[in-house]
Amino acid sequence: MERFIDLTVSAVLLAGLYATMAYGLGIIYGVLRVVNLAHGGVIMAGAYLGWVLHGRLGLDPYLSSPIVVAAAYLLGMFMYKALVRHLPRGPAGGPASLLLLFGFWLVLRNVAYLLFTGNDQSITTAWSTRSVILLDAHISVSRLAVLAVGVVVPLALHLFLRRTYLGRAIRAVAQNPDSCTLVGVDVERIYSITFGIGTSLAGLAGLLSATIFAFNPGSGSGELLKSFVVVVLGGMGSVLGTGIAALILAVVEVFAILVLPSYLTAAVGFVMLVLVLVFRPGGLFGHRVLG
Amino acid sequence: MTRLFRTLSPTRIVLLFLPVVAALALLPLVADLSIYTHNLMTLAFLSIAGALAWNWMGGFVGQVSFGHAAMFGVGGFVAARIILWAPVPAPLAWIAGGAVAGIVALGAHPTLRLRGPYFSIATIGLGEATRLFFTYWEDFTGGSSGLSLPIDSAMKHRLYWWCLGLVVLVSAASWLIRRSALGLQLLAIKADVDAAADLGVSATFYQDLVFALSGAVVGLTGGMWASYFSFIEPNDMFGFDRSIGFVLMAVIGGVGTVLGPVLGAVVFVLLRQYLLASYPQLYLGLYGVLLIFIILFEPLGLSGLLLRLWRRLPISRPAV
Repeated sequence: MERFIDLTVSAVLLAGLYATMAYGLGIIYGVLRVVNLAHGGVIMAGAYLGWVLHGRLGLDPYLSSPIVVAAAYLLGMFMYKALVRHLPRGPAGGPASLLLLFGFWLVLRNVAYLLFTGNDQSITTAWSTRSVILLDAHISVSRLAVLAVGVVVPLALHLFLRRTYLGRAIRAVAQNPDSCTLVGVDVERIYSITFGIGTSLAGLAGLLSATIFAFNPGSGSGELLKSFVVVVLGGMGSVLGTGIAALILAVVEVFAILVLPSYLTAAVGFVMLVLVLVFRPGGLFGHRVLG
Repeated sequence: MTRLFRTLSPTRIVLLFLPVVAALALLPLVADLSIYTHNLMTLAFLSIAGALAWNWMGGFVGQVSFGHAAMFGVGGFVAARIILWAPVPAPLAWIAGGAVAGIVALGAHPTLRLRGPYFSIATIGLGEATRLFFTYWEDFTGGSSGLSLPIDSAMKHRLYWWCLGLVVLVSAASWLIRRSALGLQLLAIKADVDAAADLGVSATFYQDLVFALSGAVVGLTGGMWASYFSFIEPNDMFGFDRSIGFVLMAVIGGVGTVLGPVLGAVVFVLLRQYLLASYPQLYLGLYGVLLIFIILFEPLGLSGLLLRLWRRLPISRPAV
């Protein structure tokens, strides 16, 4: 029973992280219809930026998060303006955008290898080893903090998309870019802002995961796949759906330890991805775009 | 490149193709190739065959697979196991490896109704799941320490021709597919699945067929690879980087063309060899930059560049 509670708690905490990174992939797909294949690369870059800020300047990961978010936002704007903007829209742009962003991911990986070598790194702070006891379960403080961010950020984003002019414009562009142009919305600007929001969430997710897991320049493909599972399962850009889907993925992954040999648990996410794509390609809650 | 070829008659293509193949076949006999060159050329042949087969799916059908290493690895390990287990002629073991890889490819059937990014990302998932599965199936693959095959230098020498033969077969098959009704049906699926279905072209059937064929050829190259290098290891054979290799070769040369993957594979192998020797730390990134430039400026890759040059030549203009 105690083990059950422990596993449940760690699944819930993991879900916060999954929701953050999935929302970054989902908002870009929802608005631009482009799968950001460099998503894993941006997550890795966010982790390294946080690691450098912590190692060199001694900044706590939670203090450095605004810097990481801003840097990832600028990176996303750059990716849109320099690369994605030049692609043909619609189905013809599909394979091209995948390959293009994949190329960018390779570049990011290489830059990280050059700067930081291929060794595994992680961010360890004074409070990384601390834990609190809740419902008989030991919960590490860093995981709890990750969960808090994973709940607050998507909710803030939800309010932003619902209540502000810019947020409404983003949702309108997701629904119909042509009519947006007619009523005077600068669609290109909305696209680049959305791409920036998406990558800033990825960067934040990278920073958060760096406080829990080790990373190296090659990491990111697992994160990309997990984000994709959550996005597909939860429906594009629905905040509640993304949260529930993140929780489902985390629970399945964590509880797989009970029934599967440990070496196969890493494959659970991949298998789930394929099952979800095949049986529920529209997501658990049907198609919904941003809302 | 197919557009270029269309301006040439089939006879002329065969006439262009034959001397090249004959020269390559005679090369090790007349010239004293160093082991290095011999290795490089055999590697290039294997890569060409793999890239052409990837292109059947990624280029002709337009389904970009990031998971072809799964079939490469299955073919390699099945062939290696057969060679270690019984004294069968190596070619039979390769064919068996290819056949099993083709059957394994059919296992991807459920993902084939996905299109575009959904399909591509599902193949990343399948590829990685396959890699994990085989890395931990130590009884079959030897786990992280891999499998060593008996070294047979005569076989290694002969493999040059076997691999060249495979290239001839696979390029001929690519060219025939492109020209046949099947090629047109695949093109229809690529352009619009629903419209193709309305015309009676079953995307499910043709994609299964092409994916299995493509997987079988890639599995065959995996088996020959195992024989040639005498040592295989699951993390390398099933690795994501290997899947990426197939994609890069086809994209560099020109996706969906016949000559493209051939050119792309040659450039990829030479570039890789050069970069690994001189700038190992820049090797991935330069491929990334290359990919970005190709997609942005010349989506047909080297074939597109050649086509532009060809159009400037006076002989490309039809006589009035």
